[in-house]
Amino acid sequence: MKKIGFLMAATALVAAGSAHAESHEGRATDGHLNIIYWQAPSLLNPYLSGGTKELEASSLVIEPLARYDETGTMVPFLVDEIPTVDNGGVSEDLTTITWTLSEGIKWSDGTPLTAADAVFTWQYCTDPESGCAQLSNYNDVESVEAVDDRTIKITFSVPKPFPYGPFVGAQSPIIQAAQFADCLGAAAPTCTDANFAPIGTGPFVVTDFKANDVASFVANENYRDPMKPAFATLNLKGGGDAASAARSVLETGEFDYAWNLQVEPEILNQMAAAGQGTVVSAFGTSVERMHVNQTDPDPELGDERATVAHPHPFLTDPNVSRALSLAIDREILVEAGYGSSGQPTCNVLPAPAIYASTNNDWCLNYDPDEANRLLDEAGWVMGDDGVRTKDGERLSILYQTSTNSVRQGTQALVKQMWEEIGVETELRNIDGSVFFGGDPSSPDTFQKFFADIEMYTNNFDGTDPERYMGNWACAEIPSPETQWQGSNMQRFCSEEYDALVVEFGQTAALEDRAALAIKMNDMLMNSGSIIPLVHRGGVSAHSNTLEGVLMNEWDSELWNIADWTRAE
Amino acid sequence: MFAFTIRRLLFAIPTLLAISFIIFAILDLAPSDPTGNLPLTISPEVRAQIRSSLGLDEPFPIRYLLWLKQFFINEPLNLIEGWTGWTLGDGERMRVTSWATRSPVVDLIIERMPQTLWVVGMSQVIAIVIAVPIGVISAYKQYSWFDQIGTFVSMVGFSIPTFFTGLVFIVLFSVHLQWFPSIYDTNHVIDSWDSFVFQIKQMIMPTMVLALATAAQLSRYMRASMLDNLQQDYVRTARAKGLTERVVVMIHVLRNSMIPVVTVIALNIPTIFGGAIITEQIFRVNGIGQLLIIGIQGADIPLVQTLTFIFAVLIVLFNLIADVLYGILDPRIRYE
Amino acid sequence: MSEMAPIKPLVEVRDLTMHFDIHAGILRRKVGAVKAVDGLSFDIMEGETLGLVGESGCGKSTTGRAILRLYDPTAGSVRIGGVDVASLGSADLRRARPQMQMIFQDPQASLNPRMTVGSIIAEPLREHSDMDRAARDVRVRELMDAVGLNRAFASRYPHEFSGGQRQRIGIARALALNPRFIVCDEPIAALDVSIQAQVVNLLEDLQRDLGLTYLFISHDLSMVRHLANRVAVMYLGKIVELAPRDALYSDPRHPYTEALLSAVPVADPVVEATRQQIILQGDVPSPANPPKGCNFCTRCPKVMPVCHEVSPVFVEHMPGRFAACHLIDEEKDASVLRENKNDNVQQGETQ
Ligand SMILES: Nc1ncnc2c1ncn2[C@@H]1O[C@H](COP(=O)(O)OP(=O)(O)OP(=O)(O)O)[C@@H](O)[C@H]1O
Ligand code: SF4
Ligand SMILES: [Mg+2]
Repeated sequence: MKKIGFLMAATALVAAGSAHAESHEGRATDGHLNIIYWQAPSLLNPYLSGGTKELEASSLVIEPLARYDETGTMVPFLVDEIPTVDNGGVSEDLTTITWTLSEGIKWSDGTPLTAADAVFTWQYCTDPESGCAQLSNYNDVESVEAVDDRTIKITFSVPKPFPYGPFVGAQSPIIQAAQFADCLGAAAPTCTDANFAPIGTGPFVVTDFKANDVASFVANENYRDPMKPAFATLNLKGGGDAASAARSVLETGEFDYAWNLQVEPEILNQMAAAGQGTVVSAFGTSVERMHVNQTDPDPELGDERATVAHPHPFLTDPNVSRALSLAIDREILVEAGYGSSGQPTCNVLPAPAIYASTNNDWCLNYDPDEANRLLDEAGWVMGDDGVRTKDGERLSILYQTSTNSVRQGTQALVKQMWEEIGVETELRNIDGSVFFGGDPSSPDTFQKFFADIEMYTNNFDGTDPERYMGNWACAEIPSPETQWQGSNMQRFCSEEYDALVVEFGQTAALEDRAALAIKMNDMLMNSGSIIPLVHRGGVSAHSNTLEGVLMNEWDSELWNIADWTRAE
Repeated sequence: MFAFTIRRLLFAIPTLLAISFIIFAILDLAPSDPTGNLPLTISPEVRAQIRSSLGLDEPFPIRYLLWLKQFFINEPLNLIEGWTGWTLGDGERMRVTSWATRSPVVDLIIERMPQTLWVVGMSQVIAIVIAVPIGVISAYKQYSWFDQIGTFVSMVGFSIPTFFTGLVFIVLFSVHLQWFPSIYDTNHVIDSWDSFVFQIKQMIMPTMVLALATAAQLSRYMRASMLDNLQQDYVRTARAKGLTERVVVMIHVLRNSMIPVVTVIALNIPTIFGGAIITEQIFRVNGIGQLLIIGIQGADIPLVQTLTFIFAVLIVLFNLIADVLYGILDPRIRYE
Repeated sequence: MSEMAPIKPLVEVRDLTMHFDIHAGILRRKVGAVKAVDGLSFDIMEGETLGLVGESGCGKSTTGRAILRLYDPTAGSVRIGGVDVASLGSADLRRARPQMQMIFQDPQASLNPRMTVGSIIAEPLREHSDMDRAARDVRVRELMDAVGLNRAFASRYPHEFSGGQRQRIGIARALALNPRFIVCDEPIAALDVSIQAQVVNLLEDLQRDLGLTYLFISHDLSMVRHLANRVAVMYLGKIVELAPRDALYSDPRHPYTEALLSAVPVADPVVEATRQQIILQGDVPSPANPPKGCNFCTRCPKVMPVCHEVSPVFVEHMPGRFAACHLIDEEKDASVLRENKNDNVQQGETQ
């Protein structure tokens, strides 16, 4: 069993083109690796911080049972195979999943990894007082049991067609029970040492951690593959901004790998021209999209402003929304703001490939004539001042987003494009911490949505879209009754859609789930309540002397760091 | 002077308490949320739990009193324990803990002192070393080419922001010439001549960027103060006494001109501890300035509160020191 | 004042000119010059007190400072005891300094606030004599006694003294090196009236005891009348009239002197009652941009067309009496007067 798992991983690597992976001579033979994360990790316990930087940094040390590879496929890490209904690992009624740990896996302190550690991890995160940021991975988990030292049985309270929430992916690694035993619940924040230097099963061990600054690692002597990792030591430095992080890899060559290079595409290309390094990107599920308010945000409505009691005067008409979408030249938005980290998209669910619809691709074709025609047809008459009107109502839109130079650039471009079809646009941007802050007393949150259109990016963790597609159920509409909580920002509500959400929760076969997801995506697109703009990817850069990097948006970017090597 | 100092220190206590309350209140009113920067994939319920685990559910006065206790009682006790090795009480004191790192704020600050002092502190020293002679010569040779160039350079130093000079330095010295690293290694240990050289190398750019900005300002003070004094009758007296020009300028004029400059320098010292946010970011010195900005961005209120309060203490303290220095340097000033 | 005043000049000033450059613009280029002192020539006799009067800003202090080489004069020469201090190199100049000293208008500003009185007075001794510390202390005490300061105050700072005491410190400091010539730049202007007399008396006593020569700068005409043997009147950077005291006060020749004197109250009530004050119209022109012709032509009550064109020459129109005015050039009887009054004038100094 173990050998098979091994073979699988090795084949995946070779197939991915890292032919040099085999060339290094063994563990800790390739010297030092310098990584820069311009947003530095503030601790290495992802359960106490939901931030990506902490997730990624901790993935050097602590590991889940299985990770997602660069294609979004699950690969076993601490186990030999992924449990499925077919291999008997998942019960027929979809309520239990049983994982078997690989033999002989040790923590970096030399003690064996056991099922009890997984049980502890579950208890740690689900303790109501701990404020665990990754709680959603343990949704509906009724119990986690250690059947024996190597067997972990997870029981769900409801059938789980996709039972890979707990212990899969960077969000849900296993921590050592012995180290965190005194850190349960309210005591979690007091364990500074453990949070800064968790003991893990991963390829590296923390030697020094300076919060928000730099973390140092050495190769884990007890790592399960005696030949890996190739690097003896590793520094993960943080601070500064994305552009200078890019420069340190692409121009000065001081660093080997830089993460999350949200830099103007033009600048990044210039730096890459220096020839020291390579820019890599990967696409996950992030989509920059517009939500089209289906309710009326008119301030005169008072307490009922932006609630379902008052449908939007014109944006509920799918043809208006379609015209707005057709009038946007997405290629230009990508070129101006995203470069290699963006692709035009017409779907709110763009990936993984099996879930991606092709039925909405009309939107890729920038067509202002068609947009004009649609508006004419809908009765919007072009006025003398270039703005369309209908029954005395002007086609005027308040368009809001968070403060961010790329977003303001996009706003400006879209405003121009819409002007051409007679739509008046007023722009507004709100500081991100307020906009996304969710404070029910602030009028400027994205949940309150006191505007006609709002734009931001959202995505989902892992590869399964079930929860993500559930975002647009009627019950998810933010309203005064829910203290303005909820994820259905545009207030889309359809019984048919709600029924599909329920059906999704009961469907196990992957193909059926894919068909459902596509159907739901298309419903949303046809309603006109979401206008997808750009499928956004992660952009990183690595030195040309670094080999084995497989950019991954489904898991930590450092997911396969054990296989990274230094070119001769 | 002693009585004056004690009296001022006593007055400082209520002032600082009021400041701490105001800082706390402002931070509390600010619309920031420690979970605001988390990915949108984290649900509102989880966010609520995180907030409550950070103690944000407690009412404002309780949180303030708790902070007071942690900062004024627990932290000092902890420091004393650390210095003396005694055990005071049960040792299970709740310290001021940062939300983002779950680490005691004071430990984070101490961790960042070395690079802050090395880079920002050294930049002040260099700034003084550069600024004083330039100011003296500029004033002495007012309107000479030296003065004109000095004026021009300090105008440039004033008006060009450090992020720009920093960038220019990096492009020039790191990218093209490859002389100095563009990223400061806070883990670097000096244990040999070579490692000392490396430390100097990695300090040069951030230190110079800061020093230039400070020197520009300081040399103007120095020049103005020198000019002021050069026109005084006592300088004529000194010349009339037949002293050499060197004695006249260096002993009589410079000493008197240093009085205001020294106080400016003293008042500047808290900003050393405050770090240099922008320069630290550019060169990743990751000192106290960067700690503060990260705290602000992440709505890490205990961290921001504690840092801001420490700055307030330093500012009050160095104001007092400046006053006392003034009293010592200038015999005309007497504090009763 | 002294019984046998020698007629030998101690200080000979020739064509003394002091222009301050005016800089402007971003590059602070020279755009002009303030002609603070513009071609002065006069002598100061050994042992005499020459009064220098004029309105504020006319260049009195600049004259005093230029004579003592506290400024580098733009042009001209200043011979003190036969040595041209205006052209001495810095080392020689320092050696020449002891013989010429200055007492300043503002006693507070002229004393280094960070030095004790003792060290202020002792500093020139340290520089110019090889006295040891003890000897210097003795000399400091001597000097403090001489100017009437309590010697116990040597370790105090200047700000701890009253204005009059400070001026005494300034005087003691000036006397430290046994100077022959002292420029007193309005030494009493900043003092209370009651103290003014004390300081003036002190200066007179010292002059008598030490045989000092004074250039006494003041805008207080009565004080100058009391102190000076001869008086020079300055207007806009130039001396317009120079004459023995009594001659000048009783018979001013230059229209500006006339105007100045007409403003001074006279003790005699009868004369005071008939005193005709000449009110000058207009403002003093800027020394950076003096008028063409006579400097005084913009305000002179007796102005003539020629005054706007030609600058009058500073001439000795009568023996010992100098003035610069076209009116005086025209005085046909100047030669007669000169012959008659020659002796009187010269004697006049020696009372
Ligand atoms: N260092 C200097 N630079 C430029 N101009 C100067 C300087 N010193 C004096 N002046 C100018 O020269 C002129 C004469 O100044 P000075 O001080 O000699 O006048 P004063 O007759 O002594 O006046 P007061 O009675 O007010 O002391 C004034 O117009 C003054 O502004
Ligand atoms: S020259 Fe002319 S203007 Fe000048 S003082 Fe004599 S009369 Fe007056
Ligand atoms: Mg004067």
